[in-house]
Amino acid sequence: MTTLTLFALLFVCMFIGMPIAIALGFSSMMTILLFSSDSLASISLKLFEAASEHYTLLAIPFFILSSSFLSTGGVAKRLINFAINSVGHIRGGLAMASVLACMLFAAVSGSSPATVAAIGSIVIAGMVRSGYPESFAAGVIANAGTLGILIPPSIVMLVYAAATEVSASRMFMAGFIPGIMMGSILMIAIYVVARIKGLPSQPFPGLGAWGLSLAKASGGLMLIILVLGSIYGGVASPTEAASVAAIYAYLVAVWGYRDIGPLKDTPWRKPGQSLVSSVFSNIISLPYVFVASFTNKEVRLVVKDAAKVSIMLLFIIANAMLFAHVLTTERIPHMIAESIVSHGLEAWAFLIVVNILLLIAGNFMEPTAILLIMAPILFPIATQLGIDPIHLGIIMVVNMEIGMLTPPVGLNLFVTAGITGRSIGWVIKACLPWLSLLLIFLMMITYIPQISLFLPEFFDRMNGY
Amino acid sequence: APIEIKFSHVVAENTPKGQMALKFKELVEQRLAGKVEVKVYPNSQLYGDGKELEAMLLGDVELIAPSLSKFKKYTNQLQIFDLPFLFKDIESVDRFQQSDAGQGLLKSLEPKGLVGLGYLHNGLKQLSANAPLRTPDDASGKKFRIMSSDVLSAQFEAVEAVPLKKPFSEVFTLLQTKAIDGQENTWSNIYSKKFFEVQPYITESNHGVLDYMVVTSADFWNNLPDDIRMELSKALSEAVTLGNQIAAEKASADRQLIIDSNRSELITLTDAERQQWVDAMKPVWSQFEDQIGTDLIQAAVASNQ
Amino acid sequence: MINKLHKLEENLISLILVSMTLLVFWEVIMRFVFNAGIHWSQEVTLYLSAWLVLLGASWGIREGAHIGVDAFVKLLPDPLHRLLSLVAIFLCLVYCTLFLYGSWVYLAKMKSVGIEMEDLPVQKWQAMSVLIIGFALLSLRFFELAWRVYTGKQLGFHLADEAKESMHLIDDTKQD
Ligand code: NA
Ligand code: NA
Repeated sequence: MTTLTLFALLFVCMFIGMPIAIALGFSSMMTILLFSSDSLASISLKLFEAASEHYTLLAIPFFILSSSFLSTGGVAKRLINFAINSVGHIRGGLAMASVLACMLFAAVSGSSPATVAAIGSIVIAGMVRSGYPESFAAGVIANAGTLGILIPPSIVMLVYAAATEVSASRMFMAGFIPGIMMGSILMIAIYVVARIKGLPSQPFPGLGAWGLSLAKASGGLMLIILVLGSIYGGVASPTEAASVAAIYAYLVAVWGYRDIGPLKDTPWRKPGQSLVSSVFSNIISLPYVFVASFTNKEVRLVVKDAAKVSIMLLFIIANAMLFAHVLTTERIPHMIAESIVSHGLEAWAFLIVVNILLLIAGNFMEPTAILLIMAPILFPIATQLGIDPIHLGIIMVVNMEIGMLTPPVGLNLFVTAGITGRSIGWVIKACLPWLSLLLIFLMMITYIPQISLFLPEFFDRMNGY
Repeated sequence: APIEIKFSHVVAENTPKGQMALKFKELVEQRLAGKVEVKVYPNSQLYGDGKELEAMLLGDVELIAPSLSKFKKYTNQLQIFDLPFLFKDIESVDRFQQSDAGQGLLKSLEPKGLVGLGYLHNGLKQLSANAPLRTPDDASGKKFRIMSSDVLSAQFEAVEAVPLKKPFSEVFTLLQTKAIDGQENTWSNIYSKKFFEVQPYITESNHGVLDYMVVTSADFWNNLPDDIRMELSKALSEAVTLGNQIAAEKASADRQLIIDSNRSELITLTDAERQQWVDAMKPVWSQFEDQIGTDLIQAAVASNQ
Repeated sequence: MINKLHKLEENLISLILVSMTLLVFWEVIMRFVFNAGIHWSQEVTLYLSAWLVLLGASWGIREGAHIGVDAFVKLLPDPLHRLLSLVAIFLCLVYCTLFLYGSWVYLAKMKSVGIEMEDLPVQKWQAMSVLIIGFALLSLRFFELAWRVYTGKQLGFHLADEAKESMHLIDDTKQD
């Protein structure tokens, strides 16, 4: 009854056009009022907790701010030019390069929506410009973005490791090959589609033009090195690196390329100025640029756009946590999981059930919540059936990836809708064909444990643990 | 209808705290069948550790067991448990907690509408780092992650180290990439949070204690019928005894698991080395004497015998 | 009046986002370059993020930032579409009212107990007052929206896919 009310309310609210965030919050609230003794005050507390106690979520506004500067300044254009010059002559090359960019970014970020936000806002526009259908571009990126939690580092894997006491670094290693495999599958699929559909390709512009576009794009390319470098060089955590990326993107757009902001149309070197004096005057202009940015119309518009998308996402997430809270307190996932696993299944059948269970949960809840509830229930049974805990972990992570793309609660869907300005329905349709690839991939991961286990076992043997 | 007790905590069911909660549920449902019903919510399923105290004040949860440092805004006195090298071993901690002074501390939360029901061990804290820490000099200039606590901050500043406050979700990566050099924690936390995989050296310093207090709200507790309150008290103290026993077993088991993993080297201090740490960190006591109370500190020292 | 408020909100929200970014960035610089920590930065950043979201939610209504599913209502004739929108807005107002009440009780309790933030000498109820401010502003926005729908100026929530302005990103790059 409780479950029925919760879901009925959610779907009715969504169908009459309520914002998704409020539909999630409203249905949760009503269910609590009708069926539980929790106070309204505790619901407010829970919402505030959701909005203020998740440090890793801060990566989302920071990366969105960073991409906002990259895309409104000419930084994105230069990056896109470089990408087109590099791979534009291969059919589907730009889309493949975008997948590669997502994989690279996934290797520095632990979060899927952050990956979509960071890469998508630049490359979707670039692909559209080179003649790809927008839905194709959005679908590819929303899917490739899920690699954020599969390619290490991964927040979701850390949660799994803490919940089940398996080694976090073995989990990270186990995600490596599946991550590269998933990326490759996407690229192969893109190539096939590009051949069949005759997606655009452009003639190679020649080495000279290529080199020039590389030089022009270097300010933007440095961002990747900066983010990767600051995490692996022991400077910052992924969330902190996101803030570094935002500041850097601001500097490159406003002070470096000067496409927007107070220095717009001010050259780096005035005619007749000596090199030393120009470097000096540019450096001392920094404080002025910073202060003047606060009143600069273009800079403010960029920040405003970033705030808009960030708020929309974070407000949905906060309300989705309220929704998950109701599911948890009503013990709905527990009951379903316990009744299913009590049937005494074989290992292969158990894994099918696990997948179905996780896919359903993935429709409605966030990965962290699902893992914290499901891992303790599934883990002991899997161990009994002789399933390696690391293997189970990777299966769960891949399921969580799919959950990012399934309505009604799918973070990658929301981010993609946010950066393309399209409706959720449009984004879902765009993702669907690629989602089926992810499902096939899930079957491979489920029934070929060696994909996940090869690397951690190899390293364990090498280190003699 | 039976009285409902929601017991919310933020750790897994297989931890000492989780086991304690389940034991309490079992005992209560045996002895007060039909009168009291206990529901246990592990893993921050209800509230995270930043909000569970507030939820209790609102009357939405009846039992929680936060770590003692969570109470610093509720009463200054409980900071005593953060003082470095105050207790010789876990038995001394026990003696202090059971003494009149320790039991009195349970009541120190009453002005804020909370009642302490008992202490539960997590264990003694060890230092881990990416370089061996034998003397206080080794810690100098190094960055250590701490929980939010002025005492712990002062403790690391006393050895010229840099205390940093970071949320758990970031700590593993920060330690792995060496953006932070070290941290302090109990054996069971170092094991379950996987810090030993990214911290090559662990110094068995036993320099502090990380314990929990089981609390309930005064509104709820004082309105219970006397016989039920008595019975609950008894069940709780039995559950806590079991929890403490599991905590002790787990501490030594996890310590062994970490050693066996070969990923981290265990450093044991000589008496002379240990004394250097004590000398360096003990001045922290006098810094917080006014807030905590000299009598209380003396009572704690006395429990070392 | 409402336009001025909107502008004020917008400036405040941008300022919060920028402050959060600078604060976390500054913390990294302090740690890496100066080998020091800022003990209050984590807590302040997290509270700022709560202010960003809860204050921004109402601003986002006017900006058409919130996404929803409008595939179904779009199939309906306009009067019916507007009627359903009014129902939806009414439910949103119920949501706000309940939150306002809950937040009032919550903050009143925190005020009476008198707990401070972990790392700053600020009362928690003050730091969390955005719960009330945010939901009050959100209610105001929904009343305004209801009026616009009632008078026929708008059909629904002005959801993101109608707000083409965020498409400028793609149009920009298409131009050259
Ligand atoms: Na990742
Ligand atoms: Na989903």
